[in-house]
Amino acid sequence: MSHLLDRLNFLQSKDTEQFANGHGQVTRENRDWEDTYRNRWRHDKVVRSTHGVNCTGSCSWKIYVKSGIVTWETQQTDYPRTRADLPNHEPRGCARGASYSWYLYSANRVKNPLVRGRLMKVWRKMRETLDPIAAWAKLQADPILRASYVETRGKGGFVRATWDEATEITAAANAYTAKTYGPDRVFGFSPIPAMSMVSYAAGSRYLSLMGGVCMSFYDWYCDLPPASPQTWGEQTDVPESADWYNSGYLLLWGSNVPQTRTPDAHFYTEARYKGTKSAVICPDYSEAAKFGDVWLNAKQGTDAALAMAFGHVILREFHLDRQTPYFEDYTRKYSDFPMLVKLDEKDGKLVPGRFLRADDLDGKLGEDNNPEWKTVAYDETSQGLVAPNGSVGYRWGEDGEWNLEEKAKAADTRLKMSLVLEEDHDDVVGVDFPYFGGEAYGQFKTDATHPDILTRNIPVKKIQTAEGEIAVATVFDLFCANYGLDRGLGGDWVTSDYANDMPGTPAWAEKITGVPADKIAHVAREFADNAEKTNGKSMIIIGAAMNHWFHMDMNYRGVINMLVMCGCVGQSGGGWAHYVGQEKLRPQTGWQPLAFALDWNRPPRHMNSTSAWYAHTDQWRYETLKADEILSPTAPEGDWDASLIDYNIRAERMGWLPSAPQLKTNPLEVAKAAKEAGKEIPAYVAENLKSGALEMSCEDPDNPANWPRNLFVWRSNLLGSSGKGHEYFLKHLLGTDNGVMGKDLGEEGGQLPKEAKWHKDAPRGKLDLLVTIDFRMSTTCVYSDIVLPTASWYEKDDMNTSDMHPFIHPLQAAVDPAYESKSDWEIFKSIAKKFQEITPGYLDKEVDIVALPILHDTPAEIAQDQVKDWKKGECDLIPGKTAPAFVAVERDYTAIYDRFTALGPLLDKLGNGGKGISWNTQEEIDNLSALNGVQLDGSAAGRPKIVTAIDACEVILMLAPETNGNVAVKAWEALEKATGREHAHLAEGEHGNKIRFRDIAAQPRKIISSPTWSGIESEKVSYNAGYTNVHELIPWRTLTGRQQLYQDHLWMRAFGEGFMSYRPPVDLKTITKDVQDEGDNLVLNFITPHQKWGIHSTYTDNLLMLTLNRGGPVVWISEVDAKSAGIVDNDWIEVYNTNGALTARAVVSQRIKEGTTFMYHAQEKIVNTPGSEKTGNRGGIHNSVTRTVLKPTHMIGGYAQQSYGFNYYGTVGSNRDEFVVVRKMKNVDWLDHEKSWDAPAQEAAE
Amino acid sequence: MAVQLHDRTLKALSLILSYPTRELQQAMPEIGGVLASDTRLTAAARRALRPLVEELSGRDIYDLEEQFVLLFDRSRTLSLNLFEHVHGESRDRGGAMVSLVETYREGGFDPVTSELPDHLPVLLEFLSTRPAPAAQDTLSDAAHIFEALNARLVRRESPYAAVFASLLQLAGVKADSDAVAEMLAQPDDDPTDLEALDEVWEDSEVLFGPDPNAGCPQVRDMLSRMDTPITPAPANHAAE
Repeated sequence: MSHLLDRLNFLQSKDTEQFANGHGQVTRENRDWEDTYRNRWRHDKVVRSTHGVNCTGSCSWKIYVKSGIVTWETQQTDYPRTRADLPNHEPRGCARGASYSWYLYSANRVKNPLVRGRLMKVWRKMRETLDPIAAWAKLQADPILRASYVETRGKGGFVRATWDEATEITAAANAYTAKTYGPDRVFGFSPIPAMSMVSYAAGSRYLSLMGGVCMSFYDWYCDLPPASPQTWGEQTDVPESADWYNSGYLLLWGSNVPQTRTPDAHFYTEARYKGTKSAVICPDYSEAAKFGDVWLNAKQGTDAALAMAFGHVILREFHLDRQTPYFEDYTRKYSDFPMLVKLDEKDGKLVPGRFLRADDLDGKLGEDNNPEWKTVAYDETSQGLVAPNGSVGYRWGEDGEWNLEEKAKAADTRLKMSLVLEEDHDDVVGVDFPYFGGEAYGQFKTDATHPDILTRNIPVKKIQTAEGEIAVATVFDLFCANYGLDRGLGGDWVTSDYANDMPGTPAWAEKITGVPADKIAHVAREFADNAEKTNGKSMIIIGAAMNHWFHMDMNYRGVINMLVMCGCVGQSGGGWAHYVGQEKLRPQTGWQPLAFALDWNRPPRHMNSTSAWYAHTDQWRYETLKADEILSPTAPEGDWDASLIDYNIRAERMGWLPSAPQLKTNPLEVAKAAKEAGKEIPAYVAENLKSGALEMSCEDPDNPANWPRNLFVWRSNLLGSSGKGHEYFLKHLLGTDNGVMGKDLGEEGGQLPKEAKWHKDAPRGKLDLLVTIDFRMSTTCVYSDIVLPTASWYEKDDMNTSDMHPFIHPLQAAVDPAYESKSDWEIFKSIAKKFQEITPGYLDKEVDIVALPILHDTPAEIAQDQVKDWKKGECDLIPGKTAPAFVAVERDYTAIYDRFTALGPLLDKLGNGGKGISWNTQEEIDNLSALNGVQLDGSAAGRPKIVTAIDACEVILMLAPETNGNVAVKAWEALEKATGREHAHLAEGEHGNKIRFRDIAAQPRKIISSPTWSGIESEKVSYNAGYTNVHELIPWRTLTGRQQLYQDHLWMRAFGEGFMSYRPPVDLKTITKDVQDEGDNLVLNFITPHQKWGIHSTYTDNLLMLTLNRGGPVVWISEVDAKSAGIVDNDWIEVYNTNGALTARAVVSQRIKEGTTFMYHAQEKIVNTPGSEKTGNRGGIHNSVTRTVLKPTHMIGGYAQQSYGFNYYGTVGSNRDEFVVVRKMKNVDWLDHEKSWDAPAQEAAE
Repeated sequence: MAVQLHDRTLKALSLILSYPTRELQQAMPEIGGVLASDTRLTAAARRALRPLVEELSGRDIYDLEEQFVLLFDRSRTLSLNLFEHVHGESRDRGGAMVSLVETYREGGFDPVTSELPDHLPVLLEFLSTRPAPAAQDTLSDAAHIFEALNARLVRRESPYAAVFASLLQLAGVKADSDAVAEMLAQPDDDPTDLEALDEVWEDSEVLFGPDPNAGCPQVRDMLSRMDTPITPAPANHAAE
């Protein structure tokens, strides 16, 4: 029916039209005013980018650009969907990320290249008559001129420079240093390559081409948990956050998920909706605590005692009184529980010794290849000893038996876990275990008294070896005894009563941790019960808080033990979730050739930062911890009475840890001398080291010949954030004003090191040049000689991956870099170009010698089954076996730029690979030639171009198995050769899947499963570590090939860490009578967790974020402690010890446990920090009251999983055992009175 | 590029606020001449500019450069980027800069500098090409910033203060004293006045009862701050 009659044809009513039943009406008045709002949100384009460096979140963002200016950002919501019954990843992002566009045009941006004015003036004068390298040489030769700018570090006085000048000074300093002292005196520090991996690679590629030193970060940040390499032979591998959802029981231990893992926290809440139970363990009432069904507020630093009690309950109820079939089966196959350990005699008593090896037995069990690296177990099937498949001995020199099949010599086996039954053991003997709980001091002390050695009864088998009859026991039996469990064998120090105060029980742990014993038993039981019912879906999310204690390995191994006992590792929804600092670089094997210039020369120079900074900031000169304080009462005989730096020197000498600088003599000169002598380089170096003609630099770190001379810092706030022993950096490395208040060992009259040469006067100002590359004027920039402005996160092309989610996605240049800034890639490219220009005449084609430690995942890793020091004459110096390898590397200093911008030929020749496997990659190189084009001229003509950052991204994406299915298939095939098993199905169908930069610009892409990682990407399970070990029977890369809960290296046993136990915090003695002022009685344990108001550890000077908190540095203290020192909320307080002092406002809160104080990590010294009354200088940062202390067990090398790897193993910079004096400030002095323009005052608080 | 300048004084002030170079030093006599002869400025203002003119022409270039970097590159409260003082690190800053760039474009110019559009020397150069009333309008919008920077530089006894005093006179208005006071109340502005500084950082006290519906004082304060209209950027008016 038409409505013709009801409708006007020629007229329109002036009355308004209505719709939606009169709820809406159409109006016709002028609406131009709305344009204001439309324009407000108008934009020209939206570009995908993210936030680089440091934030594990790795969230994809939309960046809105209008007229070439970034106007705002919003969260991307286009992540690929997850599968059914699993929440999606989005929304990801947090307030910190959303405030970044505000920061982009901040007044804190570094706008131009800046050079210290005094340096600039002298430089230009020198350059009037001299070429750049000669100018730098002359400047360095004049102590007055050098001091003129060195001593003003941190005190302002910058002038702007052109890029040309700034890069020229830098390149000249590098070239001069390489020629004069050696390229290993040029250091570079940059962290977390996973976030903006090309920016990292830019600097490391430049350094690696010239022979400079790339410094590690993960260990230095103390985020590296050495327990992970010790147990699994893997740096850190963890479940993605989505897998939290699959868990049935989530234990949050020292992790504050809602605060520090904000974009992932939704999986935690969603899991709670699903019914997952959660227990939270942390000393303070944190944001996470309120998520828990139960909150266990263990005393800080005592987590290992809690873990031990948990383990005690789990073993008792699920392994001993009742044998849970799943747990039993899992630990037999996937842990070292069945392996046999020799019991050594010491002073007429027995202590656990080394794993029994095939080599110990007559006939070596028929193993000719590496019998000393094949561990032995008792087989129930054959009723005899076997060397089961999978130990490290099978990994190298033979193929096909490096797997976790229950086999030995191709026969089926069933390994025996325990000899406890009467018919299984020959004897029951007393074995000594160290007990460290009695060493607790101060607030950690309890009223319990237990001896330092606990003898427990162990069932043993007597076997014949080459050395005669010995007693052996299974790891499981020793393990249970170590937890204090009575198994009916009699003897002391074991119990079946939880209420008994005996090391290991809940009652014992209650005294130490303050957590009620019944709650401990309850949580342990629930945790294991869930794991039993779900086949391992109990998970522990662990925070770095637990890893920052000196005895971090005890905390972590306590946790790992629980997970292994309950079969949780390698099961989706279960396992060990440590998300700190490593930020998984998923396409690692594609990235390494780019980052370390492996396409041009190998090996690169890598250095473990903790040892380097300990030596070169002279923190060792102030060492208060002696080796005998941490030595085990059960230590085997040995020369243990040495300083911590002496241990490090031994480790470097034996090839365990890397060295930088390496030799006192310039390696370029050593190579020349070897040539003149007509000798091979390794032989020449070995001979001269033995004779003493060559000396290792580590033995004399204060000798000017051994100083690091140039330092690059990029993508990092080394001095403002991660620099443990901040004031020592200022004093010795930089040579400027500092707040060190303690005396060194010489002044104190303490025991001097045995091996490190002592100079009465410590050097000040070791560095000739500090270059920092940053987009903001950070604390590190303020102390630098040259500051180069870099592109921010919305101004460059780059890529991100994370351990929190399985996607790879880009950073993109939404706009051109602001002011004069350039991307890191362009900056290092321009320095390389300058280097190539100015070097001819000074450096040419040279032979360099790289001292290479014995590396994990290489055939060399089974170098030293016994500890022998060549210098003490215990063995010969054999490079690569008993000492570092000395590898000749040919460098072309006239082609640094040509090489920087082209993919070199070494990949064609040697292929690519990682973690012990390699493959031919010619096809990918040819593809890159076609994709990126080839260089037409220069010394790299014909090679694929890497000119732009996007070219660099394509190199990574093309070479990595995670982003190129073709490579993934090749990688799995390479692994198949070693394991003798079929794995290629994991990448089946992925041949043609090739992810390009433009693909990830369109949408984040999920990576492809690869053998680089132990989890898989699939439609069925979320990514979780250890998955392929358990489900594909690929061994862990450890000595036993299993999850190794017993550590048998000599130094592990000497320092009492064969098994996990509770070790109280160590006494660092930093509150001396000299330093503690009369009346300052409040002494607190100093903890530095992550915060909510800074962009992770990168910066904390965003005004809006600061406004959400107190606007400047704060320190949290409990109400009781505050009252005792007359402090009320918001008072200015001062925190100090011998290491230095800092100033901050007090936050007095019920949240904090008495006896502790929290200072959030990385609050900036450049924001609202008044002067310290104690030092007279501006108050320091959180690291002003800390100092690095090394632990010998982290120096172990040449021993399967305990072999060096960059950011994999090595000394770590722990800092939580520190105590501080806290007092209210009397006068708040901002130190803002400038003296005059000629002597610019501290600029810090501007 | 040679263009018809309407106002050589503004151009001179643009130069004098730029990073010191030897070229600038050589041009200082001429620049000083322009400034000395502009009768829109009071005799006192012209006299006050003299020490800066002399310093820029005569002092060691490195000292001048260090001074400039410390003052204007490194001190947030002295930033020459005007919107730092108007919008800080807020979301409005990007939008305000966009309108300013569009103003330049409407005026027939494309910015070719690496400085951001709100950099004062850039703005002054642009205004020097504008007819006097338009220029004065824009300057008057920024008067409170000039007043505040002047006060801060006077406290530092910096000769650069005179430039801002002159700009105020050229703006021909008295700065809105409330706006100036607000700027000067910013924490790191008056470092000598510690009590005032402390107050800024103090949170208001939380009081419960007697009226349970009274609400949270922090939220009330926050809301009232949010209710304050955003100060329009000077460029919005220049475009009109």
